[in-house]
Amino acid sequence: MVKTHLIKRSPLRVLEEATHGGPGRGALAVLASPKGVGKTACLVHIATDKLFQSKPVIHVSYASRVDYIITWYEDIFKEIAKNRRLRDACAVHDEIIKNRVIMNFKQDGMRTEQVLRSLEAMITDGKFQADAIIVDGYDFGLAETSDLAKFKAFAFRMGLELWFSASLKETGDALYGPDGTPALLAPHLSEIDVLITLQAKGDVVEIRVVKDHHHPAAGILPLKLDPKTLLIAQEK
Amino acid sequence: MTTTIERMRNIGISAHIDSGKTTLTERILFYSGKIHRIHEVKGKDGVGATMDHMDLERERGITITSAATHVEWAGHSINIIDTPGHVDFTIEVERSLRVLDGAVLVLCSVGGVQSQTITVDRQLRRYNVPRIAFINKCDRVGANPLKVRDQLEEKLKHNAVLMQIPIGLESQHIGVVDLVAMKAVYFDGSDGEEIRIEEIPADLLPEARQWRNELLDAASMFLDELTEAILEDRITADLIHEAVRRGTIARKLTPVFMGSAYKNKGIQTMLDGVVRYLPNPAEVENVAIDLDAEDGTKKEVILTVDPDAPAVLLAFKLEDGPYGQLTYIRLYQGRIEKGTELVNTRSGQKIKVGRLIRMHADHMEDISEASAGDITALFGIDCASGDTFTAPELNYSMTSIYVPEPVISLAIKPLDKKALDRMAKALNRFTKEDPTFRTFVDHESHETIIQGMGELHLDVYVERMKREYNAEVETGKPQVAYREAITQKAEFDYTHKKQTGGAGQYGRVIGHIEPLTEGVYEFVDEVKGGRIPREFIPSCDKGFKAVVKKGELIGFPVTGTRIVLSDGQYHEVDSSDNAFQAAARGAFRQAYRKARPQILEPVMKVSVEGPTEFAGVVFGSINQRRGIIISSVEDGSFSRVDAEVPLSEMFGYSMQLRSLTQGKAEFTMEFLKYGRVPAAVAEELQKLHAEKKAREAK
Repeated sequence: MVKTHLIKRSPLRVLEEATHGGPGRGALAVLASPKGVGKTACLVHIATDKLFQSKPVIHVSYASRVDYIITWYEDIFKEIAKNRRLRDACAVHDEIIKNRVIMNFKQDGMRTEQVLRSLEAMITDGKFQADAIIVDGYDFGLAETSDLAKFKAFAFRMGLELWFSASLKETGDALYGPDGTPALLAPHLSEIDVLITLQAKGDVVEIRVVKDHHHPAAGILPLKLDPKTLLIAQEK
Repeated sequence: MTTTIERMRNIGISAHIDSGKTTLTERILFYSGKIHRIHEVKGKDGVGATMDHMDLERERGITITSAATHVEWAGHSINIIDTPGHVDFTIEVERSLRVLDGAVLVLCSVGGVQSQTITVDRQLRRYNVPRIAFINKCDRVGANPLKVRDQLEEKLKHNAVLMQIPIGLESQHIGVVDLVAMKAVYFDGSDGEEIRIEEIPADLLPEARQWRNELLDAASMFLDELTEAILEDRITADLIHEAVRRGTIARKLTPVFMGSAYKNKGIQTMLDGVVRYLPNPAEVENVAIDLDAEDGTKKEVILTVDPDAPAVLLAFKLEDGPYGQLTYIRLYQGRIEKGTELVNTRSGQKIKVGRLIRMHADHMEDISEASAGDITALFGIDCASGDTFTAPELNYSMTSIYVPEPVISLAIKPLDKKALDRMAKALNRFTKEDPTFRTFVDHESHETIIQGMGELHLDVYVERMKREYNAEVETGKPQVAYREAITQKAEFDYTHKKQTGGAGQYGRVIGHIEPLTEGVYEFVDEVKGGRIPREFIPSCDKGFKAVVKKGELIGFPVTGTRIVLSDGQYHEVDSSDNAFQAAARGAFRQAYRKARPQILEPVMKVSVEGPTEFAGVVFGSINQRRGIIISSVEDGSFSRVDAEVPLSEMFGYSMQLRSLTQGKAEFTMEFLKYGRVPAAVAEELQKLHAEKKAREAK
């Protein structure tokens, strides 16, 4: 399969349609689930999909080590290339690497201003015209809504979209509100444009759109997370 | 003296520049009884320039920088192996690290974990070397060993466990509290050689108890008996030692010692730590490659430290001494003595062991034999550094055969006739020591060319020529070693025919060329039915080999080519070795353009470390140099950027980086891979090559 077909047939098009084209520039999408369901894999899949479209991506991580994240990208790329019998996989891979930067921050004591300063340095000084910023391992429990607002203002100014993951911790209280909004994110909902949750139901992981800009949310999507590869796949 | 293997240690001392590695090594030699006076690295008045250890050595006739120095401590023999500080010389670093069984990581109690500490620690980690830490310079203003312990955990991800706490810091630093024995240790006498053990001062007792509990907690993970003993309140020092030892050898725990080498504090206790916690040679697994393994699979075999097994040893360092060439060896298996027959598995050459030497700080000792685990030196052995010797019945290699191709070259010219002879001598030595360093004379320009793994790599050899061999040379502009490579399969069918009176020439070759993913060149003979007579097949191979040395695009070697010869034709009278060589050359040229050749350039893995405030200019500088930023890691005020940058763009980077960051950032680079040159650059290179050829044709 050539790259253009691969992009067209990606199950992520379903996700895009269900959210009116995705978050869009200057907007924030959040992917929320308890630990170990597959958030990072999902984010990396979303990032890889953009990379396939030659859109540069900055992957910001607050937790994992860089080599660990690179391994995720390699694994996801290999799965997709194998699944779809990608032609010229080597050349595509080289191009992907050119369009991807990983930035790792230690969160304790790292202020949002400093993170944004470094991101701006990468985009302007490093001449890396990112299309999207993927943020993994951000602790929403410690976050102020104003931090998210700063991220969004930055994204708007730079003309890029934001994808965050949110890890939901078991606290004894209900993880989700009656409308499916994770309790952890409820205080920040005003800043979140697209909210997607991953919920393990038996063997499958349900993907559900909880918020979609100002539109009514699409709810559970005809997508699932493949338990083996952790790739987003269309339900057969 | 023969030592049982349990009482043998082979260690390295690794440190950031200025952490006091030289002073520490000197004190170790002093306390182990090898030097009878202590000398300072700084001039007497304390304001003079820092002497380097070369001067130091000359002044007092000892060798601190010898490749392996033998000392004795507490009934153990310790070989201290010199580890080169520079990271450019992958091979040299690899060799010295692979003969170590353990290391002392020296840190400055003020500077803590510095960028170079991270580099040396990463190297030790890569070679699975267990380590203990020594926090030096506790007498300095601003000394804070506890902070350094935290940095060991945070920055280096060590499970760092204090074995001691300081008694007094800065100018008040007089000793340490031993958290195992729960005693205060003072270092008296003019050189700290008299150890006085007392009760812990009352004001330090609560802190000592707290840190001892942490030590017990961490250590008990590695020994169930210790856990039980803690519960039953019958802890012994031996149990703690055993637990810490297990954790250290498993590289899951780093015992932390402290003191001040300059003020003679804490060295002896650290040496106790070396013999207690670092592994003996039998506790480390070493593997060799069996070159005789069937089907050429390069099977790995685990060596045993059994002295009765056939001998296996590695020559890891050559040194030119006043008495001739000294070859440092590590014996991995078996035993050697004077007269033992060995085979160099690289060259197949047989040798007989002559003089066997142990290097002490101030003298050499002739020894009668050495057995597995030990490090000694041999006189009068002709070999290259990195060669493996084995008993005749084995054919093992300790190092992988793969040596990376040099990526950069430099023309050098001796200043006068004398320098020419010395230069030749120096080059002969360097190429033996370091397989990544090569030299040849360019037949077109008649210049001597040296090749290596980076700008700094070559700089150091030019400097060494001057310093050690008194050979002054002029250097040209560094030249990147480009490569050419084909990207697709292409057929050839070429006839070489000449009929110009006298004996004619005839040879026809048919087949194809295709990209080879691993390796430089492969020749496959698929000719059937004698279409090309057997005796001319090597001629074809020779012809192809000759033609790939210079690609047509820019005149650099063609790499990664498989040539498959499937058919051909010959003539009873006119076919000859020369004719088939010429046919092969013609065939390659015929197919080359069809195989869509491209130009490759060496790409380096570059890491820049420095204060976060400069991250922007670092990003910019890499982008400017056609680099790809792979990642950036920020930890508070410290940041590190990893990138892939073409070598051709890296010239002068250290200068630029220094001026951009006020000298606060530093970078390291090593060869990563050959990558495709962008179209615009490729065109430019081809243009230059065409112009050069036109000039030469005139």
